[in-house]
Amino acid sequence: MTADLSVDLGHLRLRGPVIAASGTFGYGTEVPLLERRTLAAVVSKGIFLRPRPGTPPPRIVETPSGMLNAIGLQGPGAEALLRDYAPLWSAWDFPVLVNINGETVEEYGELTAQLDGVPGVGGFEVNISCPNVEQGGMYFGNDPRAAADVTRAVRRRTKLPVWVKLTPNVGDIAEVARAVEDAGADALCAVNTFLGMSIDLHSFRPRLSFRTGGLSGPAIRPLALHLAHQVARNVQVPVIGIGGIAGPEDALEFLVAGCAAVQVGTATFADPRAIAGVHDGIAAYLESKGWTSLKELPRYLPLD
Amino acid sequence: MFEASAPLSERRQVARDMFVLGFDAPAVAAAAKAGQFVNLGLQPGPLLRRPFSVYRAGGGRVEIVLRAVGEGTSQLLSLREGDLVSVLGPLGTGFRFDPAWRSVALVSGGLGLAPMLLAARDARAAGLSVHWVHGARTAWDLGSEWDGEEATWATDDGSRGFQGSAVAAVEEEFGAVLACGPNPMLAAVAERWPDAQVAVETYMGCGTGVCLGCAVPLTAGGYDRACREGPVYRAADVDWPALPSHLYYTAVPVASPSRPSPATGGGEVPV
Ligand SMILES: Cc1cc2nc3c(=O)[nH]c(=O)nc-3n(C[C@H](O)[C@H](O)[C@H](O)COP(=O)(O)OP(=O)(O)OC[C@H]3O[C@@H](n4cnc5c(N)ncnc54)[C@H](O)[C@@H]3O)c2cc1C
Ligand SMILES: Cc1cc2nc3c(=O)[nH]c(=O)nc-3n(C[C@H](O)[C@H](O)[C@H](O)COP(=O)(O)O)c2cc1C
Ligand code: FES
Repeated sequence: MTADLSVDLGHLRLRGPVIAASGTFGYGTEVPLLERRTLAAVVSKGIFLRPRPGTPPPRIVETPSGMLNAIGLQGPGAEALLRDYAPLWSAWDFPVLVNINGETVEEYGELTAQLDGVPGVGGFEVNISCPNVEQGGMYFGNDPRAAADVTRAVRRRTKLPVWVKLTPNVGDIAEVARAVEDAGADALCAVNTFLGMSIDLHSFRPRLSFRTGGLSGPAIRPLALHLAHQVARNVQVPVIGIGGIAGPEDALEFLVAGCAAVQVGTATFADPRAIAGVHDGIAAYLESKGWTSLKELPRYLPLD
Repeated sequence: MFEASAPLSERRQVARDMFVLGFDAPAVAAAAKAGQFVNLGLQPGPLLRRPFSVYRAGGGRVEIVLRAVGEGTSQLLSLREGDLVSVLGPLGTGFRFDPAWRSVALVSGGLGLAPMLLAARDARAAGLSVHWVHGARTAWDLGSEWDGEEATWATDDGSRGFQGSAVAAVEEEFGAVLACGPNPMLAAVAERWPDAQVAVETYMGCGTGVCLGCAVPLTAGGYDRACREGPVYRAADVDWPALPSHLYYTAVPVASPSRPSPATGGGEVPV
């Protein structure tokens, strides 16, 4: 018997707990060796209203058990996204959420309005946490009031699921989490990348052209787990845990710590089958315990 | 594209510090075309895979040629026969061949020799006559394997063949030029043959097109992906000054206790 791995994120039912993280799965259209049955949902690469070239190379550098990236949200803009990808998404048997970005609150709202109601667009992940843009991005995620303003601007323009992706680069993540929950988010994603830096001793310059980058991969897992747990203790809406998840045990830690689902990002680079491995590993774990549903997994969630 | 857990089945030295490794990965070997690459995953090993041009492919085996420049390459060179490596490939868009060219020059520098044996194979299959011009620092750094009739050698110190760069060593005119080597050498190729096809190197995250980490700046503006649209480009389409050269390992290494120093090979003189 296979265990029931489905999860409910507000009104959105997913067939499993493992979601592809934004920026690590493209638009879901070019992923090799994909085992669709194991994929609960895809979050597309972050998009702005208008096309963006992204940052000059080098854009990535490997660091101990992790990597720094500064892609700068390269993307084709809303119009091309709707033309080239949404029609493909509308044929899929799992939802695609669009990771949306803006330099101003109004831009987030306008982008939402353009994408809302288009077949294939299954919801929104509001990125208020990208460390790799000059304007907007993480700066909205740093300030509870600005974060709530962005959330409201999106919420007002759609009935589709609205997830808000939080930055770890903030003093009190719980405060931001409560603010965006009050502003109408259906779920919170914790977390985006940690701001980091690496210096090249040949040139005495940063290894990344953008100077700084976002740290991801196993290096951030315990940090991310702690933040996701803190968020889960402070809000009622479901929390999606993100950060360094590569195998089923990693995901189970986030689930036990209070997350309803997880996203897998960097692990896909090393292993294109990482998502399948996490999904099938969770199923095998539940079965080994004699549990028939993910809902039987004990949670550790003492409230503040 | 395939992924195979492939055993090391071949290891031989082809120049000072330069080794060929072969992995049994029949599906990848059968599909590989000149200029494509494989992305190799080591477990345990670095987090990200490491990209290598396909050097030879056939008989169920994929070969790469490399030199130890850091953690991943050093670890690859310390593998023993039968050790498993995850081979993902073939990846990227390789060289194009057109019988109308009649002749083709393969111009390579240093490790840029990597895609040239397959390029010669595929060029001959397209009915082209092939002339290889290969340069390295000294006679000991040239590769020792070449199965074609015509080859010209160039060395920086004149210890073998033409003294100077591989680009400077090309004297005749050819129907087309295919080149691979350090990015500054490819910039020189672009000056002389804007229509040459060149295989570039960038850092890579995924190797499969999903991370946008391998950005190649284009003269037309914007970036595209070395792992997908590339790694082979029309030379004049690349904005060379904006493409970083990561090849510090061609310069003096910085001492680092955590990084093994490059293996010093036996120093056989290539034949
Ligand atoms: C399409 C492609 C084909 C390649 N083909 C070959 C090949 O046939 N043979 C070969 O030996 N190498 C090839 N390379 C380069 C090879 O991937 C790097 O040398 C390797 O990833 C370094 O790994 P490392 O862990 O040993 O070094 P690291 O410890 O990661 O770095 C050591 C040094 O190598 C440089 N470096 C790291 N990654 C790259 C990279 N992707 N490109 C250039 N420099 C890098 C760093 O700047 C540093 O100076 C290719 C790269 C690409 C993108
Ligand atoms: C190359 C790369 C690109 C990313 N792009 C985005 C993006 O466009 N929008 C976003 O919200 N997060 C982006 N992220 C962050 C990831 O979605 C994820 O939050 C983070 O990498 C931590 O998870 P991981 O350790 O599993 O990768 C990106 C991460 C990487 C490595
Ligand atoms: S290496 Fe990830 S897109 Fe090219």
